[in-house]
Amino acid sequence: MNRGALGKVRQFFFPPLTMGFFIRIFLIAITAYLFFSYICLPLQIKGNSMEPTYRSRGINFCWRLRYLFSKPKRHDVVVVRFAGTKVMLLKRVVGLEGERVEFRDGKLLVNGRPMEEPYVRHPCNWNLSPRKVDDNCVYVVGDNRSMPIENHYFGQASMERIMGGPIW
Amino acid sequence: MVKIKYLIIAFLIVMVGILATFLFFPSEEKKVKKKFALLSEHMSKDPGENTFIMANKIKGISALFGENCNFTVSDYSLSGNYTREEISGIALRGRAHFSNLGLKFYDLKVSFPEKDLAQVNLTARLTGRSVYGEHVDETRELMCLLKKVERKWLFSSFEVIEVLKR
Repeated sequence: MNRGALGKVRQFFFPPLTMGFFIRIFLIAITAYLFFSYICLPLQIKGNSMEPTYRSRGINFCWRLRYLFSKPKRHDVVVVRFAGTKVMLLKRVVGLEGERVEFRDGKLLVNGRPMEEPYVRHPCNWNLSPRKVDDNCVYVVGDNRSMPIENHYFGQASMERIMGGPIW
Repeated sequence: MVKIKYLIIAFLIVMVGILATFLFFPSEEKKVKKKFALLSEHMSKDPGENTFIMANKIKGISALFGENCNFTVSDYSLSGNYTREEISGIALRGRAHFSNLGLKFYDLKVSFPEKDLAQVNLTARLTGRSVYGEHVDETRELMCLLKKVERKWLFSSFEVIEVLKR
């Protein structure tokens, strides 16, 4: 490597500590903070309720702008908040507002019609009587339905609790 | 030059004063949050916890509650109004089910709807292992009320908010 190229590499990794450099660092830090705090929230998945689609200890991001101009559709994976964004739920939308959701011998029925769910790989024997999804709500369930129905946290979530969707 | 020296000293004194005020005279919000930190500390249990530590923790839990505390939990039969002694008993029996237990609180939003009354909306996460080896990981949203009695914030109500309604 010649002296000029070496100088450029050195300048890239060890730039002179000028006012412009500090302003750039400050702007990058502020932008990163705002982006990762309000737009693209980093997530660590804990628990097996979305297996095999999302495995425990996996890393993902919640894209907050996903439902800015549209509503969640059936089969979308959404992030549901509790009191804030530190601990959230990752679930799949199976029912939309006004629909009747039911489980019969492990099969999901919406408005009495059985639904194809290719993402459910584990055997399921759930039974749940039909219930109507309220206005401005979606019905969310995890993909892993191998546990007894009592042990799985699912149900109707208000739209204001939907924080976005995972990036991948 | 002398004037600048005095100005710097004055600035430092003011800064130390502000820092001391924050440290030694915490805001009411900080005092309320401290109660949750204490509840988390006292509820948590390490494997092999001895009787002395357990007794101290139960005493600590009891001291955080008012004479009466109301619990509203839709999924369980725990709902009701309990005295401080009953809460100690419930905590003792509840902790006995676990070989290790952790209770953590997140996203605490504190408001003061009335004088000497604090309302806190938060996420509570309970993790641990039961004495039968079963892994436990439960998260719920809570709405809590604390009352200020004799300059102390004491828990007076816990309500579990239904995030997913079956």
